[in-house]
Amino acid sequence: MDSILRAAGMYVALMLLFRVAGRRSLADLTTFDFVLLLIIGEATQQALLGEDFSFTNAMLVIATLIVLDVGLSLAKLNSKPLARLLDGHATLVVENGRFLHHRMRRARLTEDDILESARDSQGIENIEQVKFAIVERNGKISIIPVE
Amino acid sequence: MSEDELLSRRHPVQEDMPMQQRVWRFERVGWYVLVAIVLLALAGLFGNGPLSDAQVVSQDGRVRVEYQRLSRSGTTDSLFITVQGIPGQPVEVQLEGSLLRDASIETLQPEPQRSMSHGQAMLFQLGTKQDGVATLYLTLRSEHVGTLKGSVMAGPESAVHFSTFLYP
Repeated sequence: MDSILRAAGMYVALMLLFRVAGRRSLADLTTFDFVLLLIIGEATQQALLGEDFSFTNAMLVIATLIVLDVGLSLAKLNSKPLARLLDGHATLVVENGRFLHHRMRRARLTEDDILESARDSQGIENIEQVKFAIVERNGKISIIPVE
Repeated sequence: MSEDELLSRRHPVQEDMPMQQRVWRFERVGWYVLVAIVLLALAGLFGNGPLSDAQVVSQDGRVRVEYQRLSRSGTTDSLFITVQGIPGQPVEVQLEGSLLRDASIETLQPEPQRSMSHGQAMLFQLGTKQDGVATLYLTLRSEHVGTLKGSVMAGPESAVHFSTFLYP
């Protein structure tokens, strides 16, 4: 019973923490982000398993995490408001070649971040060539160029 | 300009700006909450800090216990007991309470001259030198979550009671 509660508690706690961190935080994984993610995993692992390193305990923890994760995605399928609450919306940050600075600030994005995405995905040189830039729900920046 | 940015767009994606603003506010408030948690943790809210270090002295001043007011389940905590006795003569200390029942004693230093059980309690006999002060250093570990109480006695007038709260 212990390990089930541990896993469930950790799932909820991590979900809240990553929601606070925002969708941008680990979207474009730099080397440092990757290391950070590993450390977070390491810190989580101890609390998840406790001192019980048995096969059964590991399976129980994994099963609990999968049950919660699949359960949540099923719940999201059935309830649109819940899906909106948990996944958020895509947000426009560039409209017809014009930066929406207020939104960018709130989403912790700089002009350079957007231009970098534009160069990377569309080979765009300057902002006038961008029709729309959208922060997707997973934190990636989509670029729609001017035709 | 800023007003315009707060309006929800329909094309190329359906936006919900009031909701998005709540999300952003949640992120901002959450960040401050995390900063507060980190600062409080530094201060010892979760153990090992000024907020958590505590000591109690018995009414007659003979027994003094240094303990952790707040701690976490599964970590080791130290308990430092000093007893004033008669110089050169052994002194008896009695430890009891849920703290000693639910936690396992990992180390006990120095080795008491004698140790025995006394009902629910443990009785230790410690030697003293010229100054008549005996010290006992224990490290305890418990998987318990919640409050654990302990008491140390060296006579009817020399008793201290303390409690430790263990976070999960």
